Amino acid sequence: MKLIIENLKKSFDKKEVLKNINFEFKKGKIYGLLGRNGAGKTTLFNCLNEDLTIDGGNIYLEDKIKRKLEPEDIGYVLSIPNVPEFLTGREFLKFFIEINKDRIKKDKPIDDYFEFMKIDKMDRDKLLKDYSHGMKNKMQMLVNIIASPNILLLDEPLTSFDVVVAEEMKQMLKSIKKDHIIIFSTHIMELALDLCDEIVILNKGMLEQIPKDDLDDKELKTKIIEALKEE
Amino acid sequence: MIKSFITSFKLKNTYRVNSVIYSIRQFPFVKKILPNTLYKNKVLKIIGNIISVIIELCSIFLGKFLYLWLCIVSIVGLYKTNQATTFIHIFTFLTLAGAFLNTYMFNPTKDKYYAMMIMNMDVKNYTLSNYCYAMIKVFVGFLPFTIIFGIIYNIPLFISLLMPLFVICAKMCFNAYTLIKYDKSNLVINENTLTKTFWIVIIGLVVFAYGLPYLGLSINYFIFIIIFLVSLVLSIYSFIIIKKFDKYKSLYKKLLTNENVYAVENNNSAKTIKENTVKQITLDTNFTSNKSGFAYFHELFVKRHSKILTKAIKKQSIFIAGVIIVAIFLVLTNKDLAKQINSILLVYLPYFVFIMYMLNRGTTLTQAMFMNCDHSMLTYRIYRTPKVILGLFKERLKTLVFINLIPAILIGFGLVILLYLTGGTDEVLNYLVLFISIIAMSIFFSVHYLVMYYLLQPYNINTEIKSSTYRVVQMITYFVCYFMIDQKISTLYFGMGTIIFSILYCFISLVIVYRYAPKTFKIRI
Repeated sequence: MKLIIENLKKSFDKKEVLKNINFEFKKGKIYGLLGRNGAGKTTLFNCLNEDLTIDGGNIYLEDKIKRKLEPEDIGYVLSIPNVPEFLTGREFLKFFIEINKDRIKKDKPIDDYFEFMKIDKMDRDKLLKDYSHGMKNKMQMLVNIIASPNILLLDEPLTSFDVVVAEEMKQMLKSIKKDHIIIFSTHIMELALDLCDEIVILNKGMLEQIPKDDLDDKELKTKIIEALKEE
Repeated sequence: MIKSFITSFKLKNTYRVNSVIYSIRQFPFVKKILPNTLYKNKVLKIIGNIISVIIELCSIFLGKFLYLWLCIVSIVGLYKTNQATTFIHIFTFLTLAGAFLNTYMFNPTKDKYYAMMIMNMDVKNYTLSNYCYAMIKVFVGFLPFTIIFGIIYNIPLFISLLMPLFVICAKMCFNAYTLIKYDKSNLVINENTLTKTFWIVIIGLVVFAYGLPYLGLSINYFIFIIIFLVSLVLSIYSFIIIKKFDKYKSLYKKLLTNENVYAVENNNSAKTIKENTVKQITLDTNFTSNKSGFAYFHELFVKRHSKILTKAIKKQSIFIAGVIIVAIFLVLTNKDLAKQINSILLVYLPYFVFIMYMLNRGTTLTQAMFMNCDHSMLTYRIYRTPKVILGLFKERLKTLVFINLIPAILIGFGLVILLYLTGGTDEVLNYLVLFISIIAMSIFFSVHYLVMYYLLQPYNINTEIKSSTYRVVQMITYFVCYFMIDQKISTLYFGMGTIIFSILYCFISLVIVYRYAPKTFKIRI
C-alpha cells in the first residue's frame, strides 16, 4: 500500500507554502518529517486530512487499485490534544468503537484498549476535562489507531509526554507500523533518527527524502542540517 | 510626561488602526482581494487613522450623550418633580456611583498592559499622563451636553459648567482613596471586580438617584453646589496624593494580570468563552444510556450540559408561566387593560418575533456544541464523514427544537388564553394562527441557528470566530427581529405569513444542510 502525492500545491495569499510536492509513502515504515519553523509541515498534514482545500495536485492511496483518499483512511494526531471534555475516557472510546464498528476486526473489551495504552483503571471513568495534558494526548492517539486507519499523521505527538511514556509510545508505534503508513512530524532530530525508518525534509515547499546510506547518526544529522539550511 | 503620553497614544493608535484594518479584512470577499501585507499600505493606514479618530471622538462625545440621554433625560420626564433639579439630582448620584465604576485608573485594559508590562514604559509617567487625558476627555465630553440639556431644562449656566467638573472631582476622590488603601494594605481595587460593600454603596446611590424623585424629593442647586465644593476640596487633596503616589509599578503589576486583562478587555474573548463553557459541564455518575453511536454521544452531551439546556429552559418556562399568570390576573381585574391587551394581541404579533428571538437558546447551544464538543471532535477525520455529521445533526436538531418548544408552547397557550379572556375575536382562526405562528417562530429560530452553524461553522481551532459571513448573518437576524418590534400588522395575516415562511425556510435550509454540511462543517483554518 502506498500514499501517492502528485503535484500538490498550496498557497496562502501570495506565499507558496507547498510548491509542487511529489512523493510516495509506503506501508510498514515510519517517516520522520522534518522542516524548519513555518516550512509547512502542518499545512501538508492539513491538506492530506482535507482540512484545507488544495490549490492543485492529487492525493491517492494505492493498494492493488489506485483510489482517492476516504475519511476513514486517515488518523491525525495533533500536537495539542483535542478530546471532547464532556465525556469520560470510557465513553469517548465507546463512541469511537461504535461509529467504527464495521472496520474494527476484533471485538475487544474497552478495558483492553486502556491496557494497551497504559491508562490507569482509576482514570478511565473520569471526565476528559480533568485529564492531564499527557493523558489527553494518549486518548487522542488511542482513538486514532482504534479503527486502524491506513495512514497515521502524527504532528509532534510525543513532546508532551514524560520520558517514560514517550518511550512507551515509541515502542507502540513500532509495534503497529507494519499495518500503516506513519508520517511523523517533529522538530527533534534525535527522535526522528531513533524512531523513523525514513527521513523526509520539507524545505522551500518541496519534499525530499534524505537517504540514510551507510552514514552514522552524526553524519546523517550534519547532512539533514545542511539540507535544511539550503536557501 | 508629554513625551510619554505621545508615545503611548501612538502605540494605542497603531493597535487600533491595525484592528480596523483587520476588521475590514474580515468582510466577506474582501480578504481575497486584500493581501496580508496591507498593514503597511499607506492609504489604508490613513483610512484606519480616520476611523480611529472617529472612534476616539465617539468615545469622547457620543458615549456621554447617550449616557445623559438614556440614564437621565429620558427618565426625568417620568417624575412629577421639578425637571431641572431632578436632572441635577440624578446626575449627582449617578456621578458618585460612576466614580466607583468608571475610574479609568483601575480598569485593567489591554493598552495599559501592552504599554507598561510588555513595552516597559515608565509606569508613573504613563499612568499620570493618560489619567490627565482621560479626565480631560470626561470634561470635554460632558461639557457640550450639560450646557445643551441645561438650556433645555433652564438650569443656570454656571451649574451646567460645574457639572463636568464635578464628575472629575468625584473620580479623583475615589482614585485617591484607592491609592491610599493600596498604600496601607497592598490591596488593589479592580473596578470590574468590586467587592460587595462597594456594590451596596453603588446600589444605594442608584436607588437615591432614581428613588428620591419618585417620592417627590430631589436636591436643589444649593445642595449641589455644596456637594460640588466638598468634592472640589477633597479632589485637591486627592490630586496631591495621586501625583505623589510612588507605587504605581507594583500596583499595576498586581492589576494587570493576564486574567484581569482578558476578563475585561473582552468578555467575549475566545479564551474566556471557552473556559466558561467548559465550566458548564457537569458529571452525573448515575447516568446510563442504552443508546449507541451518535445518539449515545449526543445524549451524553445533553445530560452533561443540563445547566445550559434543560435547567435553563426550566427557569425560562417558570418565568414565562409567571408572567402569563400575572397577565391573566391583571386582565381579569382591569377591564381597560383587557381591552388594550386584546387589541395588542390582534396587531402586535411581529413583536413576538423579537421575543422568540431573545428566548431561543440556539446561540448558546451551538456555541457550547463547538467549544465543548466539535472543537475537539472535528479534528478526527472519521467524525467528519457525512454519516456522522448528518446523524448528529438530526439528533441535535431534535433536541434544539424540542427544548425551545417548551417555552414556545407556554407562550402560545398563554396568548390564546389572554386573547379569549380579553374579549376574544370574531375570527376564530386568530386563535389557531396565534398559537401555531409562535410555534413556527420557535422552530424557525432553532433550525436557523443550527443550519447556520453547520453551513458556516465559524470557529477556528483557537475557538475564535473567523467567519465574517456568520457575523453578518447574525447581525441581519438581529436587525430583522428588532425591526419587527415596531410593526403593526393584523395577527391573522402576519401569523399565516410567518407559518408559511417558517415551513419553507426549514424545508429549504434542511435540504441545503444535507447536501453541503459534510463539506462545510469543519474547523476553520
